[in-house]
Amino acid sequence: MSMLSFEKKYRVRGGTLVGGDLFDFWIGPFYVGFFGVTTIFFSFLGTALILWGASQGPTWNLWQISIAPPDLVYGLRMAPLLEGGLWQLITVCALGAFGSWMMREVEICRKLGMGYHVPFAFGVAIFAFFTLNVIRPVLLGAWGHGFPYGIFSHLDWVSNVGYQYLHFHYNPAHMIAVSFFFATVFALSLHGGLVLSATNPPAGEVVKTPEHEDTFFRDSIGYSIGTLGIHRLGLFLALAAVLFSALCIVISGPFWTRGWPEWWGWWLNMPIWK
Amino acid sequence: MKKSQLLLSAGLALLVLLTGCERPPIDSVQHGFRGTGMVQVYNPRTMELKAEENVVPPSLPALPGDGPKAGQVYKNVKVLGNLSVNEFTRLMLSMTSWIAPNEGCVYCHNPANLAEDTKYTKVVARRMIEMTRHINADWKSHVAETGVTCYTCHRGNPVPNNIWFKEPEQAKGADFIGDRAGQNLAADSVGSSSLPSDPFTPFLLGNLDIRVNGTTALPNGNRHSIKQAEWTYGLMTHMSTALGVNCTYCHNTQSFSNWQGNPPQRSTAWYGIRMARDLNKDYMEPLTSVFPEHRLGPTGDVPKANCATCHQGAYKPLFGQSMLKDHPQLAGPGTGLDKTTLAKK
Amino acid sequence: MQYQNIFTTVQAVGPTHHGVELGHGNSPRTGEPYIEYWLGRIGNAQLGPIYLGGLGIASIMCGLIAFVTIGLNMLASVNWNPIQFVRQLFWLALEPPAPGYGLSIPPMNQGGWWLFVGFFLTASLLLWWARMYRRARELGLGTHIPWAFAAAIWLYLVLGLFRPILMGSWGEAVPYGIFPHLDWTAAFSLRYGNLFYNPFHALSIVFLYGSVLLFAMHGATILAVGRYGGEREIEQIVDRGTASERAALFWRWTMGFNATMESIHRWAWWFAVLCPLVGGIGILLTGTVVDNWYLWAVKHGVAPPYPAVFPEVVDPATLSGVKP
Repeated sequence: MSMLSFEKKYRVRGGTLVGGDLFDFWIGPFYVGFFGVTTIFFSFLGTALILWGASQGPTWNLWQISIAPPDLVYGLRMAPLLEGGLWQLITVCALGAFGSWMMREVEICRKLGMGYHVPFAFGVAIFAFFTLNVIRPVLLGAWGHGFPYGIFSHLDWVSNVGYQYLHFHYNPAHMIAVSFFFATVFALSLHGGLVLSATNPPAGEVVKTPEHEDTFFRDSIGYSIGTLGIHRLGLFLALAAVLFSALCIVISGPFWTRGWPEWWGWWLNMPIWK
Repeated sequence: MKKSQLLLSAGLALLVLLTGCERPPIDSVQHGFRGTGMVQVYNPRTMELKAEENVVPPSLPALPGDGPKAGQVYKNVKVLGNLSVNEFTRLMLSMTSWIAPNEGCVYCHNPANLAEDTKYTKVVARRMIEMTRHINADWKSHVAETGVTCYTCHRGNPVPNNIWFKEPEQAKGADFIGDRAGQNLAADSVGSSSLPSDPFTPFLLGNLDIRVNGTTALPNGNRHSIKQAEWTYGLMTHMSTALGVNCTYCHNTQSFSNWQGNPPQRSTAWYGIRMARDLNKDYMEPLTSVFPEHRLGPTGDVPKANCATCHQGAYKPLFGQSMLKDHPQLAGPGTGLDKTTLAKK
Repeated sequence: MQYQNIFTTVQAVGPTHHGVELGHGNSPRTGEPYIEYWLGRIGNAQLGPIYLGGLGIASIMCGLIAFVTIGLNMLASVNWNPIQFVRQLFWLALEPPAPGYGLSIPPMNQGGWWLFVGFFLTASLLLWWARMYRRARELGLGTHIPWAFAAAIWLYLVLGLFRPILMGSWGEAVPYGIFPHLDWTAAFSLRYGNLFYNPFHALSIVFLYGSVLLFAMHGATILAVGRYGGEREIEQIVDRGTASERAALFWRWTMGFNATMESIHRWAWWFAVLCPLVGGIGILLTGTVVDNWYLWAVKHGVAPPYPAVFPEVVDPATLSGVKP
C-alpha cells in the first residue's frame, strides 16, 4: 500500500549503526531505525515545549507566537523556564532532532548502498543552525544572542542584528554568501530546465540525448559542465552559500563590532593608493 | 593529504582576512526585550582606548563669587559682566587650557590691550560663550543637567577635531558625464559607505524631512523617494558612528518609524538634531564674516557642528561626566526662547 | 578512504565533440574545441565550440555598450583618476535621475546616461533571451530554459521599468554600482516599512532558500548514486534503473514521499522560477499598493508585539508648547 512497485526488493535488513535489528523496520513509507525513535522523541518533546510556551504567551496567532531566548544577564547559564529557559530546552531538542534525522539518513544510505552525500549536506545546514544558536552565543558569552522561535519574530531578530552593524550588506562574507545563493537558484533553473527540455521536446520531436544538452550549453556559452559536473556544482554552490552564511554571522560581533562598511577601510587605506 | 592541507591553509587565510582586527571577548549590552536583537556590542580593548581619550581635565579650584564685578573692572566685557573678577579670571584660565593650551592667552587677546577685539578668535569665543550658555539653559531636552563646556567640543584644540564644511561641487573633467548626485564615493562622513556624503547640510543646517515613512499601511499621499531614504540613512549612519552605537540604540528596526516601545534615547536624539540646526543657523553661520579665509571651508562656509563634534565616539560626550557643576557660569542664562516650540519642524 | 565522487580521478579523453548538427539557417560554430584537464576533474573537459549568431552578437554589442558606459561614468565620477577608479570601484555607480524629473528624459549627466544604459542593457538581455530560445528550438529541445530566464527578466524589468513607471519616477530605480545597489536595497526596505513584512518577499525567500535546499538535496542524491549511473538522468527517466529507484527510496524512507527522476527537475524548475517571479510581484506592490509593510502587517494581525521594557517615550514632533 505504501510501497512503490519496485520497492520490495530493496527492503532488506542491515545498514544500521545502532541497535542492530531492534528498530530495523518501516512504518508505512517511513524507515524507523534507532535514530527514527530519537527523532520522534526530540520532535515531540520540542513541539510540546513550543506549544506549552505559546500557551503561556499572549497569543495563539501562528504568525505572532514567539519563544524568546533569555536576557543577556543570564550569560551561558540555564535561565528560568519562562524567562528563556524554555528556549534553551527547545534548542537542545532541535539539535537532537536534526542530528537524529541526519543519522537516520546515514542508516538509510547504508541500507541502499548509497554515498553519504545527502546527510553530509544536511550536516552543513545543521552546522549553520548550530553556529547561529550555539557557537556565536558562546563566543559572545550569552545564550540570549540566539534567535527567537517565531515566524515574524525571528525576522525582527535578523533585522536588528543586521542593523547592529549599521549596513549588513557590506559584510564581505555576506556578500559572498548572497552571491552563492543567487548562483544556486540560477544554476538550479538551468539544470531543471535543461533536463526537462531534453525529455519534453516540442510536439512531434523525440526525447533528446546528453549530447543535445551539452550542445545547447556549448552553443550558448561555450562550455557545458555535463551531467555529473552539474550535480557537483549544484551541491558545491548550495553548501558554499550556507557555509559563508554561517561565517558571515559568526564574525559579526565576535570578530567585528563596528559598522560593516567601516571594515573596508583596510582596502581604502592601503599605502599603494598614494 | 597535501590537498586537504592546502584547503585548510586557504581557509585559515580567508578567516584571517575576514576577521580583520577584532577578537573575542566582546562585551554586549541588551537594550530591548530579550531575543529582539537590540544589543550594543563593544570591543573592551577599543573601549579602554576611548576611556583614556575621554578623561575630564581637573577643574581649577573654585573661587569666591563676591567682590567687584568683571564688567565694572574690565573694559569691553559684553557677556561675562556680572561674574566676579575671580570667577572671570578663573573662566579665562579654564578656557585657555580647554581651547588653546599651547597658544595661551594671546590666541584671543592682544597682550598690550586685553580688551580689544582685534583678533577674530576673541569675537568667536565671545559668541561661543553665549552658545554654551544657550545649550545648557535652553536645550536641557538634549543635554539634561550634564551640560557642556568649551572642552566638550574643543578638547584642547583651537579647532575641534570633528567639524564639517559643505562639500565643493563635484570636480569634473567633463561636464556631460559622471555626476555622482552627492553620493557613490567611499565617504568617512557616512562610515565608509557609498551613501550620500553630506547629510549635514540638508538635515543639521536645513530642516528637510528626515522622516520618509508613511503613517498608514496603504498609500496616503506620502511622496518621499527611495533616494530620500538614502539621505536619511546617511544621517543615521553618522549619528551611529559619532556616538559609537548602532541603530538599535534608539530603534527597534521592526519598524523604524514606530515610536511605541522605543528606547528613550530616540527622543533625546530628536532634540539633538534640532539643537544642531539651531546652533549652526543662529551661532555658526552668522560668524561667517568673522572667520579668516584659512578657517573657512572649500566653498567659503563657516565650520559647523554635527553629532561627532560633541560626542566624538561616545554615547554621551565624555561618557556623561559633567563639568558644569564646577563651572556654573556656563550653565546660563539662555535666550529665554521656548526651544520645544521652535524645534517643532 | 572511499571514493566520494567529488573529483574525477581518471579522465577518459576521446575526440572532441563538435555539437549536434544544426539544421538549415544556422551559422557554423566558432572555435576549435579543446580539452582543459582541470575542468575535467569536475565536469566535462571540453571547452567550445560556441555558436555566434546574429542575436548573440547583437546582444553582446548592446551589453558592451551598457557596460562601457557604466564604466566611463564611474571613471568620470572620480575625475578620470585610474587609481581612484580601482580603489573606489565597489563604491562607484551610475545613478538614476532625481525624482524631480519624474518620467521625463533628463539631461545626460543628470540621469540621462542611466536611461541610456537601461535601454541597452534591456536590449542585450532580450536579445540573449531570443538567442536562448532559438538555440533550444534549433536543437529540437523544449524551451524550459528560456522560460525560466523570462522569470528573471520579469524581476529585472519590474525593478528598472514597470515599478518606476507606476511610481511616476525613474528615480525609484536601482543604480548601477556594487555598494550603491546595496544602499538602494536597504533604502527600499527602510522607505517602505520593512520588507520582511511583505508577504511576497517572504514567499520569494522561501523559494530562494528552498532552491538552495533542493539543489543540495538533488546534487547530493545524484552523487550518492553515481556508482549506479545516476547522473545519466535522461536515460533514467525513460528507462528507470536502480539509480533512480534507490534515489527515490532514500527520500521515501526519509520523509515519506519522493519524486521521480523527471519530476525532481520540475520541483527544481518551479522553485527556481518562483523566486524571481513572486519577488517581482512583491516589489511591484511596494509603494503602489502598500506604503508601509509593517503597518500592513499590523492591520492584518501578523506583526508580533513585544512587552514594553522602556518607560513610555512620546514622539516629540507630536508635542506642542511644553517647555523642555
